[in-house]
Amino acid sequence: MDWISIANAVINGVVIGMLLALPALAITLVFGIARFPNAATGDYMTLGAYTTIASQMFLGGSIVVAVLGAMTMTAAISLLMYFWVFRALAERSHVSRLIASIGVAFAVRSTITFFAGQDQYVVDLPLVRAWNFGGIRILPTDLYIVGAALIALLLVFCVMYLTPTGRRMRAIADSPELAAASGIRARRVMIFLWAVAGAFCGLGGALLGIKAVVLPELGWELLMPMFAGVILGGIGSPVGAVLGIVTFSIAQEVASLFVGPAYKVVLAFLILLCVLLLRPQGMFGRPIAAR
Amino acid sequence: MMKQPYNLSRRAFLVSGTAAAGLGALPGQSFAQGERVFRLGALNSITGIGGPYGPYMLEAIKLAVAEVNAAGGAAGRKFQLFAEDDQTKPEAAVLAVKKLVEINKVEAVVGIWASSVGLATMPITNDANLITMNTCGAPEMLTENKKGLAWMFQASNAIFGNAFAEVARRRGFKRPAVMAFNNSTFVGQANYFKSAWEANGGKVSAFVIYEPNQSSYRTELARVLASKPDVISLSAYRPDATIILKEWYQSGQDCKFIMPGWTANEDLVKALGKEATEGLISISNVAAEQHPAFKRFAAEFKTITKREPDIFAAQCYDMVITLALALEAAGAQADVAAINGQIRTVTGTGGTKANSFVEGRDILRKGQKVDYDGASSRLEFGKHGETVPDFGVFDIQDGRLVLKETIPGQLPA
Repeated sequence: MDWISIANAVINGVVIGMLLALPALAITLVFGIARFPNAATGDYMTLGAYTTIASQMFLGGSIVVAVLGAMTMTAAISLLMYFWVFRALAERSHVSRLIASIGVAFAVRSTITFFAGQDQYVVDLPLVRAWNFGGIRILPTDLYIVGAALIALLLVFCVMYLTPTGRRMRAIADSPELAAASGIRARRVMIFLWAVAGAFCGLGGALLGIKAVVLPELGWELLMPMFAGVILGGIGSPVGAVLGIVTFSIAQEVASLFVGPAYKVVLAFLILLCVLLLRPQGMFGRPIAAR
Repeated sequence: MMKQPYNLSRRAFLVSGTAAAGLGALPGQSFAQGERVFRLGALNSITGIGGPYGPYMLEAIKLAVAEVNAAGGAAGRKFQLFAEDDQTKPEAAVLAVKKLVEINKVEAVVGIWASSVGLATMPITNDANLITMNTCGAPEMLTENKKGLAWMFQASNAIFGNAFAEVARRRGFKRPAVMAFNNSTFVGQANYFKSAWEANGGKVSAFVIYEPNQSSYRTELARVLASKPDVISLSAYRPDATIILKEWYQSGQDCKFIMPGWTANEDLVKALGKEATEGLISISNVAAEQHPAFKRFAAEFKTITKREPDIFAAQCYDMVITLALALEAAGAQADVAAINGQIRTVTGTGGTKANSFVEGRDILRKGQKVDYDGASSRLEFGKHGETVPDFGVFDIQDGRLVLKETIPGQLPA
């Protein structure tokens, strides 16, 4: 296998990984603070992709407006679902919230297909050729996608580690009881959390819509790799989620060069397995002692 | 003790409300008491990868059912339709078909699209001795059709793969590569392309089966393009074909594509633009476009759905009409086996040509033999229940499908 193919596969893996890092970060934040795996994450992405399409159809072609609109829309729906569903279940076990989130996922998807139907949509953008550096191909669109994802990630990391809101979030993630005892109001943090989670899923979905095609199952099908990436990085660790999903995506792409596309998922999970055998808490997770 | 989490009256309201809504959704309440209906099951891929096709297939079935019922039914029996979504997944399909068989007590299941669904449900319909009509293309469908109750309205992919290879040869390509979606239909198509090409001493430059539902196929495509093919036989559905062709165009490497017609069509042009689809070779069993049955069906279909019917919709329409004519020929008291026995008779050669249910029924009532020529093809069934249609070879030029030639379909030697 020549190194140019490998380099191309790695580049492709990085692009997909960066794109999925946005929803993966949403999963890990929700898991760390609201304490359940949110299965609606994928369908929030789908919602973002469809909002992009709708915005282009009804408000004209500007892709920047469409993507921002998608982020706003998913953030709004994510907040709505928090107030309507997840807040009411806050005291229940994480399993019942997981099940509720699957319900939310179905509700979101069915509402979309009720209006948009089952057929595919594509984001209206002119096709451009890739830049070819001696066989290594780089797509201008991919650069924009990675750029947008990077900016969004940087912003949220700044908020988390440099602002009082971020400090409160981390405090609640560490220990909700201690945070409450020191006078941190969980409500505001929750609103911020769900807005960010929604906006990130929306952005991820919109970018994925630009790269691929928009289908009702767009996000749902990605839940497995996203959860796998989050576990690989260490559940609850934001940096881990990003690096985990990027590693997972690169592993998938490079694997398909060696074992054939049909087995690339298997190989990616094999890598996940190996990492977890060596570090059961994931790449960046902290070991959790059971008491 | 745990607090009762529900308000009982609200729960009661929900239950009764859902039940009421469910009742409203039940089809066919308008049938008079005592009238013996023909219970027809529709199993379509409404969601999942078949989503771009399934909903329209169901529309076509409804349209045909309405046509039959408007004419007073077949042999006096009106059709009552029970529709289920198989999610394009064999597991969901098995549950759905069991419901159709055991609860709705249907006598035939029509509209099955995916071969994976067709292969998973055939044992169930065979056990229950039900007629099933599908658009499945996996070659195994023919060998699994052990009771002769299954009818394949779409050409087998053995025939498709051969036709692809034949077109590649006629166009003078030297280094074909094969790229196919991983399911029984398309892997069959890819394998038959390879064996048909190699039977004439050729070699396939690359052979890649890819996993569905990905957001990028770049690495798989790069593998194919690295072998420098002059043409790629791409067995794909529209969503994955859209991504693959987008990525191929972006790569800047030149080559042609041969694709099945249900993927390479005007909808694909709409998704990708004219530039990226220019010169695609699209092969389909020709819907009988010049045929009166197709024209009438297409016009009615368009008023309902605001779009042209694809080949699968036309095939679904034909399923119901064929079934209705077979029922008419077998008589009101006939059982499923007797109706099934008439399917070949009402479509076979030698009868008086008919292009609609009413035409066919009137011929039958005169005591003559009928030959229904459908909207999808002439419908001559082979010994395994398969159709062997002619293929149209189209080029996409400036965003439109242009018919280049018609080649006769052949079963592989």
